[in-house]
Amino acid sequence: MTIDRTMIEPLLEIKNLSVSLKKRDNISVAVDDLSLNLYPGEILGLVGESGAGKSMTGSAILGLIESPLYISAGTISLQGRSIIEAPENIRGSQISMIFQDPLVSLNPLKTIGEQLIKTIKTHFNISKAEALDRSKKLLSDVGIDPERIEAYPHTFSGGMRQRVVIALALAPEPSVIIADEPTTALDVSVQAQILNLLKQLCTERGTSIILITHDMGVISETTDRVAVLYSGRLVEIGKTSDVLQRPQHPYTAGLVASTPNIDPSSFDKKLFQIPGAMPDIDDVPDGCAFHPRCEHARDKCQKHRPPLFDARVSCWLSEKPGGTL
Amino acid sequence: MSFVTVNQLTRLFDLSEPWIVRTITGQKKRILTAVDCVNFQIEKGETYALVGESGSGKSTIAKMVAGLLMPTSGSVIIDNKNFNDANLEKASMNALRRKTQMVFQSPYASLNPRWKIGNIINEPIKAFGLIKDENDQHKRVIELLEQVGLSERDIKKYPHEFSGGQRQRISIARALASEPEIIICDEPTSALDVSVQAQVLNLLKDLQKNFSLTYLFISHDLAVISTMANNIGVLKEGVLVEQATPNDLFHKPQHDYTKMLLAAAPTLQNN
Repeated sequence: MTIDRTMIEPLLEIKNLSVSLKKRDNISVAVDDLSLNLYPGEILGLVGESGAGKSMTGSAILGLIESPLYISAGTISLQGRSIIEAPENIRGSQISMIFQDPLVSLNPLKTIGEQLIKTIKTHFNISKAEALDRSKKLLSDVGIDPERIEAYPHTFSGGMRQRVVIALALAPEPSVIIADEPTTALDVSVQAQILNLLKQLCTERGTSIILITHDMGVISETTDRVAVLYSGRLVEIGKTSDVLQRPQHPYTAGLVASTPNIDPSSFDKKLFQIPGAMPDIDDVPDGCAFHPRCEHARDKCQKHRPPLFDARVSCWLSEKPGGTL
Repeated sequence: MSFVTVNQLTRLFDLSEPWIVRTITGQKKRILTAVDCVNFQIEKGETYALVGESGSGKSTIAKMVAGLLMPTSGSVIIDNKNFNDANLEKASMNALRRKTQMVFQSPYASLNPRWKIGNIINEPIKAFGLIKDENDQHKRVIELLEQVGLSERDIKKYPHEFSGGQRQRISIARALASEPEIIICDEPTSALDVSVQAQVLNLLKDLQKNFSLTYLFISHDLAVISTMANNIGVLKEGVLVEQATPNDLFHKPQHDYTKMLLAAAPTLQNN
């Protein structure tokens, strides 16, 4: 998209968010000083390896952080109003969530119609007949025959179930949908269908999406902007094509390079690999969290944590104007 | 003759209700053809990859090649021996089992959580009686750990102390312990992050070169397969719909299903 996002007011604003884990003798930080904006109508990708804090950020927005984890700093606001104190007011109605596994996110004992009608009636003061009509409309929007409204979740395939979950997420007409690995449990062909459907429905309705995934291919094909997380910190953010084609942070560059492409000529070559593994949250190194794995690491990287330069990348290599990898 | 020959391999599963229920309700038998007359060959030291969606029969074939599941008809012949040959003596059966090893998809489920890493890797050595002396066994376990990028320190640890990628390395070390000639890798990296996936795939390539291993590599990810395979078979509902070298398959796909899979695979290049 060519619109300059910075000119628009953000829909959802996360400022300096930290989520911590209290243990007997110390406190570990799972999400560390994270700031993100989500603009109206955009799809923002959150990408990173397991344990990078992607899902934790999603849970924090919805107020689903539970003890021993707690939000230790920062603010989250939706359309300028803070939502951190009373997330119940926005959960479901203004921000809804799509989870990874469509089997466990549906109630197996209720028909999909009952689940849709209940969701609609919770959020809108309308009669059951109207709710039924809306449910049927939603089902046909997500590509399910409305005749199947009385079917139970187990009679649907994985892809169809995820369509039902999308219908449920759209039912309260939210302004933001958080999709946490919505297609990881699905086959590639079904994955493409579901991502296209999600994209199309949200464009029609003007809904913004935060798409959490570890799959660089999904990020590349679905999102407008992408935020790369490492060890609970934002390391790079920007337009998806910029970030993937001209990554500024060595970690982003490593992730892109280690993603295999469909390329028969790559057969004899080795894949690029980032040495080592992401640190445990109890044991995050000083300075830049990525420095032990970074081939460009300098003294400064070991001692001082880099700020976000040019609202794009958190790496000391980008400190000088025009500094590249 | 090729090192591995899979000939008219077929496997049916009986999904019928019990006889008494069928009789009362008047149902017929329900038979699922999971694998239907599949033929392919793998040359020694090469990698044959099977790709397909869930339910296409990839893992059923893997189990039959590994000798964990009997085919309904057809045969798997590895180095001129057949797992299903009733005349095969126990010694040659054991030799065949030693030659074929498997690396499973989930490194969380495929390692016994109550065993130490040293014991897990030593198990095939003891089971096949490869090394009798305990000190030599210990040395061999360390050697195997080093081959997969782990170290002697890890020998006394339990599986839960390792990350997913490290556990998959342990699974690979266990597969190597019996000095196999063919390793069946059933989605070995689909539970791993991309950067770890790259490490494990590179390790598999190195080991193949060093020990001239033959791989049957199963994956749903065409990009992973394109970096690993000499030959690719595309499975759909138990039928091998297309078989080609990566060059031909990716540049000139013949079957509609292959074209669909290629179009659906998310890649970085299309952005």
